[in-house]
Formats: sequence, C-alpha cells, structure tokens
Amino acid sequence: MDSSVHLDNTVMQFGDFTAIQKTDLTIQSGEFFSFLGPSGCGKTTILNMISGFIDPTQGDIKIGGKSMRGVPANKRPTSMIFQNLALFPLMTVAENIEFGLEVRGVSKSERKKASDRLLELVALEGSGTKKVSELSGGQRQRIAIARALAVEPQVLLLDEPLSALDLKLRQHMRTELKAIQRKTGITFIYITHDQGEALTMSDRVAVMSAGRIQQVADPITLYKDPHTAFVASFVGENNGVSGKVVAANSDLVVLDCGPLGKLSGRSHGNVAVGADATLFIRPEHFRLQAEDGMHTLGATIDEVNFEGAYLTLNAKTPADQALSIQLGTHQFSESLKKGAPVSLSYNEQDAIVIAGEGHV
Amino acid sequence: MFSQLKSRFGSGLAVGIIGMIAIWLIGMVILPQLLMVDYSFRPNLLPADIGGPKDTYSLVNYETLFSNKIHLAIFFKTIWSSVLVTGLTLVVSYPIAFYLAKVATPQKAALCLLLLIIPFWINEILRTFSWYIILAYKGPLNALLLGLGLIDRPIRFLSGDGGVLIGMVYAYILFMIFPIYNAIESLDTNQIKAARNLGAGWIRTHWRVVIPHAKPGIATGCIMTFMLAAGSYAVPALLGSPGSRWFTQIIYNWFFEGGDWNQGAAYAFLLLVICIGFIALVMRVFKVGLGDIAK
Repeated sequence: MDSSVHLDNTVMQFGDFTAIQKTDLTIQSGEFFSFLGPSGCGKTTILNMISGFIDPTQGDIKIGGKSMRGVPANKRPTSMIFQNLALFPLMTVAENIEFGLEVRGVSKSERKKASDRLLELVALEGSGTKKVSELSGGQRQRIAIARALAVEPQVLLLDEPLSALDLKLRQHMRTELKAIQRKTGITFIYITHDQGEALTMSDRVAVMSAGRIQQVADPITLYKDPHTAFVASFVGENNGVSGKVVAANSDLVVLDCGPLGKLSGRSHGNVAVGADATLFIRPEHFRLQAEDGMHTLGATIDEVNFEGAYLTLNAKTPADQALSIQLGTHQFSESLKKGAPVSLSYNEQDAIVIAGEGHV
Repeated sequence: MFSQLKSRFGSGLAVGIIGMIAIWLIGMVILPQLLMVDYSFRPNLLPADIGGPKDTYSLVNYETLFSNKIHLAIFFKTIWSSVLVTGLTLVVSYPIAFYLAKVATPQKAALCLLLLIIPFWINEILRTFSWYIILAYKGPLNALLLGLGLIDRPIRFLSGDGGVLIGMVYAYILFMIFPIYNAIESLDTNQIKAARNLGAGWIRTHWRVVIPHAKPGIATGCIMTFMLAAGSYAVPALLGSPGSRWFTQIIYNWFFEGGDWNQGAAYAFLLLVICIGFIALVMRVFKVGLGDIAK
C-alpha cells in the first residue's frame, strides 16, 4: 500500500504569522522520517496539518497520493502518539487500545483479539484490565503506541513521545520504536528537538528552523555535509570561523580569515569570490600534529576538560573566536593547560565552507 | 480543626471563630429547621390551646397532601417540571460550556462569560419581569414571530408551563454552565484530539471522552438547578398562570394566606425529602460521590 506523505507546496499562516514557509516534501512509503528543530520552528504545525487538526493556508497534504484537503481528522489514515500520550484515564488499558476499533464498529471479540495481539507486540501481555494510572511511564508509552497502531494507520505520527522518559528508558524505547517500525512497515513521522533521537532512528531527517526546512538528508550526510549554517551548528557541535572568500575552484574554497591567515575547506559550489563565508570544523577533526596538506591555526587554551575517553579543550583564536576541540585522552600531555598556546590542524576535506556570516 | 486554628490564631481568636460558626450553624440553620419539623407534626391551634390537651403529635399535616388531589398533582408536577427544567438547562448549557472551555479563544471566552454574567447583576424579580414582557401576548417575541411569518396569530406563552420553563432555564443557566465549564476546562485538550485522531466523530468524542470527564460537573449543575427550580417562587409566580402553579406557591399560601404554619411546614418538608431523594438518585446515576461534587 502506498503510504507516502506529500507536503505539496504547503504554507501555513496564523494571522500575520507564517508558521510554515512554502514547503514541498515527499516522505516515502515505509520511511522513518524525522523533523528536527528547536521549539517554535513549526514542526508540530506540520504534524497537525498531516493529522488534520488544521488545514494548510495554501497547498495540500497528500497521503498515499490522495488529497487530504477537507478530510477531517477522524477520517484520515493517520494515527498520532502525543507528547503527553493522552491516554484516556477513565478507560482500562484494553479499552484505550480498542477505542479506535470500537469507533469503526468492530465486534467485541475481534477487538479483544486485536488488543491482545497488540499488547503482545509491546510486551505487556495480560495488562488489558489494568487502569492507565497503574502503569509506569514506560508502560504507558507502549500502550500509547499500541493504541495508535490498533487502527492500522498508513502513517504514524509521533510528537516527541520520548521526551518525558528518563535517559535509560528513552534509549531503550528508541530501539523498540525502530523495531516496531520495521515489523509493521508503516511510515513513521517523528518530531523531535533531540538530535540524538533523530539521528539514531531515522532513515531521513528534515532540519527545520523558523518555519523553513533547511535540509533533508540521511543522518550521516546531515552531519558530514550540512548545507546551511543553521544545520552545521544545530546538528552536532561545530566551530565556525568567518572570513572572506579569496578563491573558489570546483569544490574547494579558500577564505581569508584575517589574523588566522588563509584557511580552506570544501563547499557546495554556492560561494562567490569576495563574499563573506564561514568555515565549519567539527571539534573532533582538530589534530595537534600537522600532517601533509593540513591547515593549521594558532590558539590559546582557555580550559581543559577531561571526560573519560576524550578531552575537550576550549580555546581562543587571536581573532578572539572561541573554539571547541575534542581529542582522544591518549593525546593528553602536561603542555595542555590553561593559557598555553596550541596549534590546531585540520584536513581541508573535513571542513565545510558555507556562504554568509554563520551566526544563527 | 480547633488545634489548627489555635496554632495559627491563638486560643482566644480560635474560640471566637468557632463560636461564631457554631452560632450561625446552630442558631440560624439547625434550630429553625428543627422548629419547623416540630411544627409540622402538631396541629394548627389557637394560641390559647397551644400546650393544652389538643396539642399532640400526629401525621395529620402530612396526610393532608395525600388526601388533597389538587395539591398532590401540583406537587408531582413541580417535581416533574423541575426535572424538565434541569434537563433543558443541561441541553442548553453543555454546548455553551464546551465552547467556552475548549473552542473559544481566551478573549472570546472572557467576553462570553461577561455577557452571561452581566444580566445576573440585576435582581431576579426584574429579570423575570423582562421575560414577562418578552413573552407577553402582544410582546416583542410574538411580534417577531408574526413578522417573520412563522405564526398566524400570537401565542399565549404565559398561560401554560412554557413561560415558566423558559424563565427558569434562563434564571438557572449559570448554575449549570459554571460547574460544567470548570470540569471541561480541566480536560486535557489532547484527549479530544486523540479521540478524533483515532477516528471518533464529534458525538462519540463527547460521549466517551468529554462527558465522562465532566460528569462531576454535570451532576453538580443538575443538582443545583433542580434544587433551585423545585424551590423557586418568583419565576412561577410571575410567569406562570393560575393553571401552572408551583408547589412553593402552595407552601407560601399555607404560611401567609392560610396562616397555618404547621401545614406549611409539613408541605415544605415533603418537598425537601423529595429533593434529597433526587440528589441521591442523580449521584447514583452519575456514579459520583459527595467529594467529587465538592471539588
């Protein structure tokens, strides 16, 4: 069955405020797709549009190729897991799971079969007669998943469902969600501000900022090849060094970074000579010893933090720019201390040049 | 309670507070009620005979109601009409309460609440009189209906029970709206969204999610409205015709026109007993306890 979701030139406005800028995006059938962004970036609005709680101002939402314009929330082939789960507290666990089937007029015995099967799927056999209040946070989470799956949706929408859980449980639920998605084969659309969640579970991630999708890519590409300054600094940690473009040939760009000299890195070919640009280098790409073809910049150490397997250094460049550097603990030496000079080298293939000032 | 008050205010003030509450409760609530109970079991006598051989306890005053067919009919009609008023008020109030609690923006909700409350700053008698004017045979409502061509000749709203029902629904609507509004407002909006999302239409969403949650509020509203309707005097006196008398009017007549306080007290107690029975019934039907209602 085709359960793709297509945001067809969708725009959402609330009065004068544009929550979602014109967006055209197709989420493949059976894909685990995440929207990642800070709060207020419009990701929940997208979920509300897909589920039918609001209709886009312009454009359309298509599920499985069918236009959803004018289709009310209760007639859409979607099912949502809410941030606060929104289980019905006055119903038992089984009644919660069976609610969607009850609405569809499924017979009592069929409903019972379905809820038993789903309780087994989420490893909570035999808790059908319990009250919701008798369950722990993780169990409630799984009941919410079972309830959403009971209606056999084409698309499952997840609105930061793990944010209320503690760290251990959250990591466990990530694996379980991924497993359930593989087992059921339905399209998962996941909303989160937690990049760890987005990167570990998703097939593809859309990074959003201020109502606009910045980049859509698989997690590795997103990390290695950010297309905008926002993505570069929002996904993972990054150091941005600003300068002016002095040379740009095919995919390699040289920047004049003032007191830091000339530095170069890869680009996507959208920077022009003479324009402002920012060079992004990840903390783990710095080396203390320069090898052939590496670029080196000098800095002064501000702080050394020992974190077990690795060290993080906070340093300042002569241009008074803060840098964060991550080194393997084996590289520790007495010379790495507050106030000491350090020379940092990086491979130009590991650095990305993005047009603009880089402040986001 | 005393030790709490004592630790907070000192023993002198604590005794004062408890004493005032006690005077109020005993002197102004309990004793008058007991006096009325006592009255209701004794015959109506001339002052000279009180305390004499004729002054004996009996159930005669209570039997009067059951032997007087007209009074009995009015008694049951009052109970039945109060149930009707309660039902109608619920039907009118629930959508308003839901709208205020979940649909309206905060500004609109505030405006609506204000519009609902302002008329209640006016005395109940005056408000009821305004309905008297609206519903009059040559009043604006008939004029409007005639003007719209919906009726051929004016309707006598005020001759039957219709005027009383309309007046009462209006008079007690706030007592129904507010408890339901409070109950619905405490419902997590995501619960409604979840029900919709799982495919429930509006009727089922209300029936399975909103109403079960709002049940204590609905019960409170029903009880208050019923009590006020059954005990109402002004509305039936003004909007009702001689053909639609309320039981409270009979009680009033016994007290102030018949001069028979003993008979009036017995009638009043029968009404009270029925009302308490009704509350117990409502609480059982809605499966709510006293604690839920006190919330």
